[in-house]
Amino acid sequence: MNAFDFRAPRTLDEALGILAEQGDDGRAIAGGTALVTMMRQRLLRPACLVSLREIAGLDRIQAANGALRLGALVTHREAETAALIRERLPVLAETFRSVGSVRIRHMATVGGALAHADPNQDPPVTLMALGARVQSRRAGGDRELPIDEFFRDYYQSALEPGELVTGVTVPLLPPASGASFVKFLPRTADDYATVAVAAVVALEPDGERCREARIALGSVGVTPLRARAAEALLRGERLGEPSVRAAGEAAKGEVDPLTDHRGSAAYKREMAAVMVARALRQAWEAAQRAARGRPDAGAPR
Amino acid sequence: MTFTQECVIPVERARLWEFLMDVPTVGRCIPGVDTVEAVDGNAYRGGLKVQVGPIRIALEGTITVEEQDRSAWRARMRAEANDRRLGGGIRARLSLTLVPAEIGTRVQIDTDLAVLGKIGEFGQPVIKRKADTLLEEFARNLRAALVA
Amino acid sequence: MTRAVRLTVNGTPRELEIPTYRTLLDCLRYDLGLTGSKEGCGVGVCGACTVLLDGKIISSCIALAVFADGREVTTVEGLAEDERLHPVQQAFIDHGGFQCGICTPGQVVAAKALLDATPNPSDAEIREWMLGNLCRCTGYYKILESVRGAALGARP
Repeated sequence: MNAFDFRAPRTLDEALGILAEQGDDGRAIAGGTALVTMMRQRLLRPACLVSLREIAGLDRIQAANGALRLGALVTHREAETAALIRERLPVLAETFRSVGSVRIRHMATVGGALAHADPNQDPPVTLMALGARVQSRRAGGDRELPIDEFFRDYYQSALEPGELVTGVTVPLLPPASGASFVKFLPRTADDYATVAVAAVVALEPDGERCREARIALGSVGVTPLRARAAEALLRGERLGEPSVRAAGEAAKGEVDPLTDHRGSAAYKREMAAVMVARALRQAWEAAQRAARGRPDAGAPR
Repeated sequence: MTFTQECVIPVERARLWEFLMDVPTVGRCIPGVDTVEAVDGNAYRGGLKVQVGPIRIALEGTITVEEQDRSAWRARMRAEANDRRLGGGIRARLSLTLVPAEIGTRVQIDTDLAVLGKIGEFGQPVIKRKADTLLEEFARNLRAALVA
Repeated sequence: MTRAVRLTVNGTPRELEIPTYRTLLDCLRYDLGLTGSKEGCGVGVCGACTVLLDGKIISSCIALAVFADGREVTTVEGLAEDERLHPVQQAFIDHGGFQCGICTPGQVVAAKALLDATPNPSDAEIREWMLGNLCRCTGYYKILESVRGAALGARP
């Protein structure tokens, strides 16, 4: 790695100040799992690393106003094991649990994962299906972006230079709805997905028709993406095998996967259809259970 | 990887051809190119900077004009450039063809691109997207330069 | 650029002046002579570099040494007490949980961390926890047996 200046500010505003000073030369670091790996490969050579690890108050998990809020410095492991998340949004805990290995999850943070903007990551997929909102701060002040607008390109988020993620707000599921996360991993258990799908299905009060579906996919484009055509197909429909499969096929047309060692673009496209259908089936079953007033049996094992 | 790109420039073909065959001038229209200098008759040395998220790629190399056929409105070029810091590079063969369009001229670029080393790990669609973005901006700069 | 780092390693306070780019693994091996932790892949995947940072297993090859400032690091060298091997170490010997030994320090540290948190893990829990520690020799069967054995052995 290159030689670099290392700063460890104690407040967020101090960190922002240093980043503003350093401009292009500075980068924020939290868990470092992605950043240090890239620096070791000489893909990045920041002259100054600004560690966020000593900043207090960014690692809270709270519930308020029908949503959960995760601070940017919450680690994947904390998100995976937090009772609040396991009980109220088990699909999110499950998703964090699927990332890499325990060692990675002990260091990698929620904010870092969002800022890294790698389309192969899992948490953004579920956060997108859940309609999360990302909070960030820069010198000019705070702002909040719907996660649908947060990812711009490969490794590129909407964050401006010197801007830091401060947290993410995740709405709880509405009544009569269910969620699922499907990670297709044909190779090793700790890898990124070949295709990942998160689905949320909300049913009409009668528990029969789909009021709304949200389908997000990872590893099938330069950013995580929503399969809006597939979602539109399901709106107002009585769900069943035919509609779930049709949605899977529709999703195929909305993805633009990259060929890599986890699969060819063509294979990922085919698997996107399969996994979308699988995720929808699971989410729909969970929604039906919720509609009938039964506790969600889809809780993490 | 091979791919074809197109852009339409609202300038008539002969004038566009003259402009495009002036490599140093054309180089200045390509986003991320700083200098292009002639090495000998057909070869030029230059650099191209491209960014993939936070990763900065700085390619240094040569472009050689292998064939210029004005009667067929076609030119062929070969490019070789490396990023010594990252340890990777590109090898490309390009074929440029000018065809009259409804307004002005359609430029068709056929590229055969090999991406080597670390840069190659980004995967083809990312590279293709970068090439598309480059072409869009190149076309904008061309139009600005020519349509005074 | 160097930085002063104060950390506790295997219970002993240490103070070092090290380059900022030093990984925790390199610091342990070269600055502190604790060569038990190994570099296998260099990208945090294989687990040969597993150490505990404030009791949590991490990949030390992708952690900056400066992250350990003010914190506690435990390596495989810190598991035995005086002349007595840690129950996990003893179990790996008793059950044949290693062949060449290169992954073993990481396996042992990871297993210790598992049993600290979950003294009686199911097979599924052992597998999920340990999946990030790769082994080229054993096929993992004996590693699993060793961890099971350590869990059983530790029960009163």
